[in-house]
Amino acid sequence: MLFNSIDFAIFLPVVFVLYWFFAQKNLTLQNALIVASSYFFYGWWDCRFLLLILFSTLVDYAVGIGLKKEQNERKRSLLLWTSIVVNLGFLGIFKYYDFFVDNFVVAFSMFGTEINPSTLNIVLPVGISFYTFQTLSYTIDVYKRKLPPTTNLIAFGAFVSFFPQLVAGPIERASNLLPQFTKKRRFNYGHAVDGLRQILWGLFKKIVIADNCATYANLIFNNSDEYAGSTLVLGALFFSFQIYGDFSGYSDIAIGTSRLFGFDLKQNFAFPYFSRDVAEFWRRWHISLSTWFRDYLYIPLGGSRGNKWQKIRNTLIVFCVSGFWHGANWTFVIWGLINALFFLPLLLKNKNRIHLDTVAKGTYFPTTKEFFSMAFTFGITVFAWIFFRAENLDHALRYLSEIGTSSLFEIPRFEGAKKALNTLLLTLIFTLIEWFGREDKYAIERLLTEWKKPLRNVFYYTLILVILIFGGKEQPFVYFQF
Amino acid sequence: MKQFLKNITLRSLPLFIMACLLEVLLRSIPNDYGFKKTYLDENSNEIETLILGNSHTYYGLNPAFFTTKTFNASHISQSLDYDFEIIKKYQNELNRLKTIVLPISYFSLFEKLEESEESWRVKNYNIYYDIKTSNVLRFRLEILSNTLATNLKRLYSYYIAGNSERTCSGLGWGTNFSSENALDLSASGKSAALRHTIKKYQPILKEQILVLNNLVEWCADREVKLILFTPPAHLTYRQNLDAKQLNTLERKIEKIVLKNSHCHYTNLLSDENFFSKDFYDADHLSEIGAEKLSNIANRLINSLK
Repeated sequence: MLFNSIDFAIFLPVVFVLYWFFAQKNLTLQNALIVASSYFFYGWWDCRFLLLILFSTLVDYAVGIGLKKEQNERKRSLLLWTSIVVNLGFLGIFKYYDFFVDNFVVAFSMFGTEINPSTLNIVLPVGISFYTFQTLSYTIDVYKRKLPPTTNLIAFGAFVSFFPQLVAGPIERASNLLPQFTKKRRFNYGHAVDGLRQILWGLFKKIVIADNCATYANLIFNNSDEYAGSTLVLGALFFSFQIYGDFSGYSDIAIGTSRLFGFDLKQNFAFPYFSRDVAEFWRRWHISLSTWFRDYLYIPLGGSRGNKWQKIRNTLIVFCVSGFWHGANWTFVIWGLINALFFLPLLLKNKNRIHLDTVAKGTYFPTTKEFFSMAFTFGITVFAWIFFRAENLDHALRYLSEIGTSSLFEIPRFEGAKKALNTLLLTLIFTLIEWFGREDKYAIERLLTEWKKPLRNVFYYTLILVILIFGGKEQPFVYFQF
Repeated sequence: MKQFLKNITLRSLPLFIMACLLEVLLRSIPNDYGFKKTYLDENSNEIETLILGNSHTYYGLNPAFFTTKTFNASHISQSLDYDFEIIKKYQNELNRLKTIVLPISYFSLFEKLEESEESWRVKNYNIYYDIKTSNVLRFRLEILSNTLATNLKRLYSYYIAGNSERTCSGLGWGTNFSSENALDLSASGKSAALRHTIKKYQPILKEQILVLNNLVEWCADREVKLILFTPPAHLTYRQNLDAKQLNTLERKIEKIVLKNSHCHYTNLLSDENFFSKDFYDADHLSEIGAEKLSNIANRLINSLK
């Protein structure tokens, strides 16, 4: 079920009313309702894959209980590896099997050996990368004794399958989300209104910004051989706003929906395009994944400790794995590497943590230095997105080589270019709103609460009308494929 | 909690009322689907030749040039499964039916309306034809099938500017692709060919072959002749087609025709009788080309009697 679908518009109020009216007095019933509705939500796509979630849930629940009882470190380690192998095994089979087989074939053929293995052509279960990482965080934390294991299977099942963030995150830590399933939840009017506001903003980002930008990004990327360099730059810009609107919009809807049910999820995007360097960008983009890799991969590898070469190795590993997490394609790995290459100089010069605060805090405008830092970082990001969006490495290189020609200075031309001006204007307005709301968790969080009620209502209705009138052609969420 | 629900309901009410009003107004606009359903409801027991298919027959076959009682029940982007749905809906009334004319266009075996760019048209079958093919709410409501901007433009066009959405003749032929307004053939050829070339077609191919076989069987049971043809297209369209897709299409159809004597297949894709002036765009005929193609089809029907 898509957040931007009429199905979800019916599903959400029904679950909401059942949750607060019929199940409010019984926490177990509330959690059971969350599990049932989450499985229904997921099964709407493909009910076959519900078994995968169920299996992961049961394995990690049992591993948690086992880790609690077992004091022998070798046996505890074995339990942890059981969880890791099962979870990453599913991920490996469903997401990466065909990729590895294809690459082995290519590698063998380079040495003159032709092999003809069968690929599985398996459909990727939606959200598998997200819920796999979420459940892994539970078993790893329990193993490290950072978190007591839960004995409440329903609460754990709700934690794994919680529908607002099941298919595209934010990837919640067990230490943050699981305790919320075991505590009594009370309806809070302010939180619910805030949740709705964040949902509305998320829908605007997805339907107006991302879907409209997607139309032109798809057109230009899919026919990139026919366009001039200037048009290709525009295509990359459209994709940059598409992916940001799409994914941060999804996160806003997920966080807002969770608030309606009395849960607080972590912020997943913190205005990343206003970053002054790549290190800051990665503290602000897909925060739940970046921090997951930091805590469960980078730090166990040694983190920033050790000598220069160890730092370089650890950084390269994390960025490559992060790229590979996005999909079984070399383009994602290169995307990760590009980011690593821009991140490493900052790390080695100890300048990776100089921009911890929001840019131009407390003022309307950035300084000239801040402005150019942001523009440069955005330029790097857009460049890297070309690899992320391209079909394959060859496509990305052809795309970039055309940008490097004199056609970069031509006037961009493509089908529907005049209509695209509307999208550019909407994107500009959106960027301005984001700029003025950059110190909050989402752009219109405080912007509206400071306004008088009638004015606020006008804004809400205007935003709804803009979504309805200027909404782009419905596109699937980009991150569903990961 | 109750206060929250009350506030939400009150604030949503104006939007809900507006949505209902919009749905009613949009459904009241006369269109081809409603017209053809009414025609078939009233006249299907008299029809001898039924034309089905997509825009290639909608604009390409004019029943006025047929010597048998003919009706054109094709619609833009109508895929094979919907052709068969129409047949099934009227199967008890089509007592005099002798021939079905069905286009096998370059994309016919590889596309399904629900999964195409034109999926917004599915609502037309659910709302106006009473052919319930989908339970997806989007395919059952006018307001959800198009953007609000498109729907507002439609309201303006019909209720204020007085334009009709019905663009077919009394016998179902599409009238608005006039030779006077013909498009640039070289530009439209390439873009249409790319649009019609399907990257991953295996699952749909299987489904559509199954549908076609069912239709062939239906025709055999009722002793109805099935005339399949690949419509003519301009060189600019043909030279941009994917050879593999085209070859698959031809092989599959020839296989069906070989096994069924009541089926006849003609490939007119590169027919030399059609010139640039016969086309509205690279893959659609104008009224001049439609007359030509209709006469060819009519002669073929008569020769097969």
